Amino acid sequence: MKTNYMNPYLAGVLLGLVLLMAFFFSGRGLGASGAAKSVVVSAVEVVAPQHTANSPYYSKYVGEGKTPLKGWLVFEMMGVLVGGFLSGALSGRLNWKIEHFPGITANRRLVFAAMGGILFGFGSQLGRGCTSGSALTGMAVLSVAGFVSMMAIFGTAFAMAYFLRKNWI
Amino acid sequence: MTIRNVVFLAIFFLGVVIAMVPENTTKPYKLTAEAMLIEVQGAAEMVSADDVAHWIISKDPSLQLIDVRSPDEFAKYHLDGAINIPLSVILSDEYRDYLDQGVKMNVLYSNGTLSSHQGWMILRQLGFKNNYVLQGGMNYWFDTIMNPQAPSMLAADEEFAKYDFRKAASGALGGGSTGALTAPVKEKADKPKVIRKKQKKAPAGGC
Amino acid sequence: MGPLVPQEIIGADWNLFIAFAIGIGFGFVLEQAGFSSSRKLAGMFYGYDTVVLKVFFTGAITAMLGLLFFSLFGWIDLNLVYVNPTFLGSAIVGGIIMGAGFIIGGFCPGTSVCAAAIGKIDAMVFIGGIFLGIFFFAEGFPLIKDFYMSGDFGPMKVSELLGISGGLMALLVIIAALVMFKFGELAEKKWPREEY
Repeated sequence: MKTNYMNPYLAGVLLGLVLLMAFFFSGRGLGASGAAKSVVVSAVEVVAPQHTANSPYYSKYVGEGKTPLKGWLVFEMMGVLVGGFLSGALSGRLNWKIEHFPGITANRRLVFAAMGGILFGFGSQLGRGCTSGSALTGMAVLSVAGFVSMMAIFGTAFAMAYFLRKNWI
Repeated sequence: MTIRNVVFLAIFFLGVVIAMVPENTTKPYKLTAEAMLIEVQGAAEMVSADDVAHWIISKDPSLQLIDVRSPDEFAKYHLDGAINIPLSVILSDEYRDYLDQGVKMNVLYSNGTLSSHQGWMILRQLGFKNNYVLQGGMNYWFDTIMNPQAPSMLAADEEFAKYDFRKAASGALGGGSTGALTAPVKEKADKPKVIRKKQKKAPAGGC
Repeated sequence: MGPLVPQEIIGADWNLFIAFAIGIGFGFVLEQAGFSSSRKLAGMFYGYDTVVLKVFFTGAITAMLGLLFFSLFGWIDLNLVYVNPTFLGSAIVGGIIMGAGFIIGGFCPGTSVCAAAIGKIDAMVFIGGIFLGIFFFAEGFPLIKDFYMSGDFGPMKVSELLGISGGLMALLVIIAALVMFKFGELAEKKWPREEY
């Protein structure tokens, strides 16, 4: 590979150290989908406050004195944007691009990206976490949910890989 | 040696070490000795028998009596609503949620004040809040609340008020004297504030 | 002794700043490892690029060991570290749906933000999809609420389930990971891909 990515094992160690710092300072691990949830909840509240107050799902996050956007995960995700950008800038990888396997069109890639996102959004709420929050963090604290999530996610992806192969290889 | 090999060896080695070393289950002390000395000298953890009697009678929901004596002594007689956490097992995980919390006002008592205060000292150094000690313990309780002595004719009015309260209280609590059937309302029962404990577990984690 | 914020050794107002700083570290490392490329991420499932396996497991193991050693030295109180609770049914089904999302979309939420940060438009579309997916879940919540709350085992650890110590559990995971890394490297040799 010509792109100068970091040695994966070294990156893994660094990732683990970042995660460890999160535990040490804030008593919690990383996460991602929770930040997206906060955004959705806040947006819906602005547009339809009655609806959020009545809904069994939204009402847990909105209401008197609750500011979902001032959450740990939201700030963490803003940091991820900055960190990712810095790394990309330093490594010369900043580029508007629709990255896709040459065998398919860019549009097809975008359609599948959207579908994947919808599935992931829905699944992360049902699974109470995504790969960062449930699988990675969960495994680090040895939680059963972490391992179960990890196996379900990776297992399913492997099982479905054959059917999606045209998109990638 | 490549990075990969260094990482592999390191994590395998560390894994073996951590698997063999016994887990650290010590409970660390949170207060310094100096801070502890100041608190003990201030004696803010003592609560009087009169106050406890009042809270029991008025069925104060934030009161939780904790008997630190042995199970035998507890079975023979204990205060209404008390739970038994013998001093010898006060550090066990089973009782941690009773002792390390921010909802109830735990009043530890024993026959005198020694055991209950010993228990309090340990809990306080572990950083637990909302635990108190019944001044005088069961002995004093019996002498003053259950079988109050009438003050001499020369005593101050205050003493008589206290006596009246105790007579009534002992009646309500099943003591010896025949006083009024209901205890008079005491004007001010200065209750120590229950310190709202911050969420014990870390802030809601997860995705 | 950590964790610092929950024990009020550092004020809670610092928490959001800490989150931001940690996020920067997270995003930086992810991008450096190449997680900003959906083709690299998907490569895991076709054998041509096992970076996901290596980074993910090395990361989890490093943090796992870190926590256990910190606890051993008295630097952290593990009772105060959040352990995500196990709701068996929803964890499995949610995981299956996410797995499908992963192989279809080529990202997960964290990596998509990282990729969007360097200009990947497919990542941005993925993120849009995430918002929609969450919205659908929220709207349909009353229908699946009972399933969502079923199988509640609380914050259960695998070591507790198996009746072994945390350290031994970590060693088992490490051994499993080392075996998988070996397989991963063999797979990459067998199915190499050109530059992407």
